[in-house]
Amino acid sequence: MLLVLSVEHRAHLGCLPRAGGAAVGELGRLALEQLRRGAAPRACESAARKLNISVDIIQHGVEGLVYLLTESSKLMISEADFQDSINVLGFSDELNKSLLQLYLDNRKEIRSILGELAPRLPSYHSLEWRLDVQLASRSLRQQIKPAVTMKLHLNENEDQIAQVLQTDPATLLHLIQQLEQALGEMKMNHCRRIVRNMK
Amino acid sequence: MRFRFCGDLDCPDWVLAEISTLAKISSVKLKLICAQVLRDLLGEPIEYDKILKLTSDAKLESGDVKATIAVLGFILSSAAKHNVDSESLSSELQQLGLPKEHASGLCRSYEEKQSPLQDRLRACSLRLSQLGSVRWRVDYTLSSSELQEVNEPVVHLTFNMRDRECEKMTAVPVTLSANKFWVLLAELKQAQALMNTLL
Repeated sequence: MLLVLSVEHRAHLGCLPRAGGAAVGELGRLALEQLRRGAAPRACESAARKLNISVDIIQHGVEGLVYLLTESSKLMISEADFQDSINVLGFSDELNKSLLQLYLDNRKEIRSILGELAPRLPSYHSLEWRLDVQLASRSLRQQIKPAVTMKLHLNENEDQIAQVLQTDPATLLHLIQQLEQALGEMKMNHCRRIVRNMK
Repeated sequence: MRFRFCGDLDCPDWVLAEISTLAKISSVKLKLICAQVLRDLLGEPIEYDKILKLTSDAKLESGDVKATIAVLGFILSSAAKHNVDSESLSSELQQLGLPKEHASGLCRSYEEKQSPLQDRLRACSLRLSQLGSVRWRVDYTLSSSELQEVNEPVVHLTFNMRDRECEKMTAVPVTLSANKFWVLLAELKQAQALMNTLL
């Protein structure tokens, strides 16, 4: 599968041959840092001063590299396809080889970073519970009414939300039975076959 | 095998695995580490460097030190949760493979702090909201825009509620006429009498 690079993207990457071999290593490092930690304008400025190129061109070059690496890692394209895709840029062989090396070395890490960007549903964090018995109320004395109060703590996008729930023991038993049935489904033949095929 | 300190359930696998790590530390040092873990469970700050110094002789890695703290915390809080006396705890720990001196040292620390630990766990139990304080004021209304001579007493109450999560105090102001206040007071006194019969 070939990557199609837009005109603007090619223009941004066009600064690479002008920068020279060592600079490409520096820009590659900046691109990876941007992927790991986000944009770092001060690092780009210091690189621009060292290489004697304007900050904007460095910025565009780094962003172009970031896009190139993320698209290639996302699609998991093979070496040959990567080489064919960057051949259109008309770079020297040495530059092509260093770009290919950059891609292959960091492909796995970039994929793991991209994996964490998917949206997530609220996930379980912890459950606090309490068993109470209501003995009397304003309207009625001499009662016995057991109740289970639960506080479900969930993690949603690094926030913690808590949901308070209350139930009587009969409903709780029914809930437990339903959840155990759900777990039991994993042991049925249908699920076993799918899990075996996924491995 | 069912263990009382695990709530009549099987002992978790990770606890079994860490018992051998506990046996590597000398029993005297284990008792001191227990004292630190008990401080943490009682809500006081834990002195991690003291624990590191105590475990340095046994040449434990940092992961093992954390595992030791975790397993001691589990054993002590679980035993307090299920109200296990120290002799039963000692015999159950020996069944799991902990040497006799280590088990007796651990149980002696547990016995000293069993009541404060249970009080602390009781205080940490699930509570939805808590009344912080009540403030009141009695006013006498002379006149209003509706009626020229009102001449009625009025009670202002402010309930300060503490929310467990955010540690914030929210104030709930209530204004009552004399009759309504009598009704409220009578009902609350009945509820208090009921609570006293249970104490």
